[in-house]
Amino acid sequence: MSVKRSSEALHASRAAAPAIGEPVIVSQDLTIGYTLHRERKKLTALRDITLTVNRGEFVVLVGPSGCGKTTFINAVSGLVDPWEGTIEVNGKPVTGPGPDRAMVFQDYALMPWRTVESNVRMPFEFQDLGLSKAEMAERVDRFLELVGLRSFRKSYPYELSGGMKQRVGIARALVTEPDILLADEPFAAIDAMTREAMQSELERIVSKTGQTVVFITHSIDEAITLADRVVVISFRPGRIKEIVKIDLPRPRFDRDLKMLPEYGKLYDHIWRLVKDEAFQAARGENR
Amino acid sequence: MTTMEQTGKAVAIEDPDRIQDTGWTLAEVWRRVSPFLVTVVNLSTFFILWELFARSGAISPLFFPKASSMFEALWVGLTTTAPPGAVVSGSIRDHLFYSLSNLGFGLVIACVIGIPAGLLMGGNKYVEKILSPYVWALASVPRIALVPLFILFLGFSVKMQVTIITLSAVFPIIINSWAGVKTTDKSLLAAAKVFGASRRELYMKVVLPFTLPFIISGIQQGIGRGLVAVIIAEIFGGSRGLGYLVTRSADTFDSALMYAVLFLLVVVSLSLVQLTRWLEAYVAPWRRLEGL
Repeated sequence: MSVKRSSEALHASRAAAPAIGEPVIVSQDLTIGYTLHRERKKLTALRDITLTVNRGEFVVLVGPSGCGKTTFINAVSGLVDPWEGTIEVNGKPVTGPGPDRAMVFQDYALMPWRTVESNVRMPFEFQDLGLSKAEMAERVDRFLELVGLRSFRKSYPYELSGGMKQRVGIARALVTEPDILLADEPFAAIDAMTREAMQSELERIVSKTGQTVVFITHSIDEAITLADRVVVISFRPGRIKEIVKIDLPRPRFDRDLKMLPEYGKLYDHIWRLVKDEAFQAARGENR
Repeated sequence: MTTMEQTGKAVAIEDPDRIQDTGWTLAEVWRRVSPFLVTVVNLSTFFILWELFARSGAISPLFFPKASSMFEALWVGLTTTAPPGAVVSGSIRDHLFYSLSNLGFGLVIACVIGIPAGLLMGGNKYVEKILSPYVWALASVPRIALVPLFILFLGFSVKMQVTIITLSAVFPIIINSWAGVKTTDKSLLAAAKVFGASRRELYMKVVLPFTLPFIISGIQQGIGRGLVAVIIAEIFGGSRGLGYLVTRSADTFDSALMYAVLFLLVVVSLSLVQLTRWLEAYVAPWRRLEGL
């Protein structure tokens, strides 16, 4: 475990990054919730989450609505603090957001008054990575190219389709070359066909940049398509029900994944795990 | 199947026949011209019917002038200045400038007070709690009821008029700026935080740009209210301004002048509102398209 990971490691190229496989996110008995002030109640969203995510790994969290998946991602990003237990990133307890982590949002969360290019550049305005102006411009260029939006750099988000907006969101998240990419149902609002294309692109992009990814979805298909491991979370309070390893060969985007017999088995297995929880969630019980 | 390279190319080399030039067909020209023509025909018909009705003598010209007389009074009023010492000249221009400069002055003060007050109320819950009862109370009291009070304090002066204008225009500006801050998109804030924005940066780079279009629509409403206040304050007292000119021309049965002033008020009000609409569309084009 690299305890001395810091800004210089961040600026170092991927090749110089520590070996793949060491723990990057370590969550130990993590319990988090929120306060309902009006009802004078404290609600536990996540309970006793113990999970280690290794460098370069693609971990997908699945579970019914309201099971606390988002809370986990927010804890990793530093937007919420743990009630109990610990969460560490690169060997240091999370105390707030940092340039080693970036997030992709379900509703894109692009600033509507900024152009595509300016949205992608935004993280540089808030965090000093010690890059020169030319280096920043080069990064913005490179990641716009990577998501295929170079010719749209001067466009505004409202001029783009949902899929294109999310590509901007992905470029923005990658522009600081973070160790960890967090994604909270990034393709949920995108139509089914574009969505499959976006999944392929994400796999391709991450295979190039080598990020560790924590990804939330409601779609079992999406989970199997993308994940190295699928973490199934139970309904209220969220606990880890099972961790399913996905051993399907990579890259997966140019394969007929769904024709593989293993695919059906995995799908069935995860669906059985999620089913009861999902029905419970659908009935809106057990808050 | 869909690799980035493929989709990238699909965008770059598209079917050259996909977009074809339609050129200027007759139908295309008509599409462009017809809305404009409709407006011209519509308004001309309106004024011609007015003219004919007035000429028929059904209503005394003391109350209802011919459209042509109104336009003549307007033209004369706007192109000539009053001779010095005239009680009420036919000159609308001096009165228009007087009213507009009061309105402008009042609006500037309303912005200087209203925008920071609204932003602070949205940003700090204690400021909000403390100020909101006064804001709602003053925003809901009919401003006209306060005019005698200000005449008592300030007399029939420019100060009195500007005060009333400011007081009318400031509340929509406060309330809109306040609402803008309060409704700032939570996920935009979360995104900025994740990417390392400080508290100050959250305000400067998320809350403020988000609120800007709200401020502009506050100003837009403020202009409408302010214009009402200008006229009310001038009708109540004073010897200058468009409001004064309306009452004065009514008193002297100069109906052509009175209608000319009313017509001018419509034009001024519409132009000011249109100006803020353009400003809003320029500053926040995404709002119009999202139908907000």
